[in-house]
Amino acid sequence: MSETLDTSTLEGANRDALVRLIISLADSKRLMGIRYSDWTLGAPSIETGVSTASMTQDEWGHARLLYAMLKQLGIDPSPVEHDRPGEEFASLSALDHERGDWVGTVALIALADEALSTMLRSFAEGSFEVARTRVPKMLAEEEFHASLGAAWYRRLAAAEGEAAGLLRSATEEMLPGLLAWAGANDAAARAMVDAGVIGPAEDRLSAFRDAVRDLVALVGMDINTVEPATDWDEVRGRASGRPDEEACERARGDRNRALLVE
Amino acid sequence: MKEFVYDVFTRKERGDRLQHVGYVDAFDDETAKVYAWTTYDEEKWFEMCVVKRTNVLPVNRTDGLFVEAQKAAHV
Repeated sequence: MSETLDTSTLEGANRDALVRLIISLADSKRLMGIRYSDWTLGAPSIETGVSTASMTQDEWGHARLLYAMLKQLGIDPSPVEHDRPGEEFASLSALDHERGDWVGTVALIALADEALSTMLRSFAEGSFEVARTRVPKMLAEEEFHASLGAAWYRRLAAAEGEAAGLLRSATEEMLPGLLAWAGANDAAARAMVDAGVIGPAEDRLSAFRDAVRDLVALVGMDINTVEPATDWDEVRGRASGRPDEEACERARGDRNRALLVE
Repeated sequence: MKEFVYDVFTRKERGDRLQHVGYVDAFDDETAKVYAWTTYDEEKWFEMCVVKRTNVLPVNRTDGLFVEAQKAAHV
């Protein structure tokens, strides 16, 4: 494990890089919760709906904990959570639009949530003290998400009819952005590696490929041949694009602004 | 797609009796564990287990849920 990072001495590009990393993780968790919440009613079974409701709560809890890490850098998380325009959201590109079917949501659970966990494992082993203490509980909760995602992914990949084809399409669409994010290696990401906050890009990328290799092989894909997206936004630390406006409104709590309690 | 009944057992504290708290329908062991954990989350359980109902062997009864599960499994 790395030596503890002294955030009081962090400044300039290094500080901005840590802020970017925290916001990208937190925004992704919040958007993931929104995408899961769409399936609390209408999931394939009552049990599955209950599980997505539970996972929604997990993701929003994780988001709050991650946004709160900004306080370590002297940043009030409230405006970050509630006042940013959608084009500043740094969530995973796979979360930009609502998945219109359960198959796409399964791909999100199995692949996008795994990309987040890959980065969080690296974050938990790094030099940022609050990540070391807060992230392990998140990862323990994520084990249930991973189990559910993998089980459903296997089930749909083996299903007759159009499910396997839809699953492959969703997987093909998501993977490049997820690979680019998990293996981020631009200046800001390298600054975080140098500071010991996260591990090297090749380690993160390799860990993510290993985690999803067997699953995506079920839909005929070789993870080693999938290239990361190249349309990288260095300001936000994600592939280009942005979440749809409705999701941003829900993430910010626009409709409940009068009831906001901090 | 075929699903199976899994009975859910919990104990709240170490040393407590394992108690039957309900069941879930699931298509395999992994989903049964997730469904049980997320459905019966009203307590902070010390331990939770799931048992596929067809694996429960009735000893003295010739009717009831467990007998029915055995019959259904062998249809």
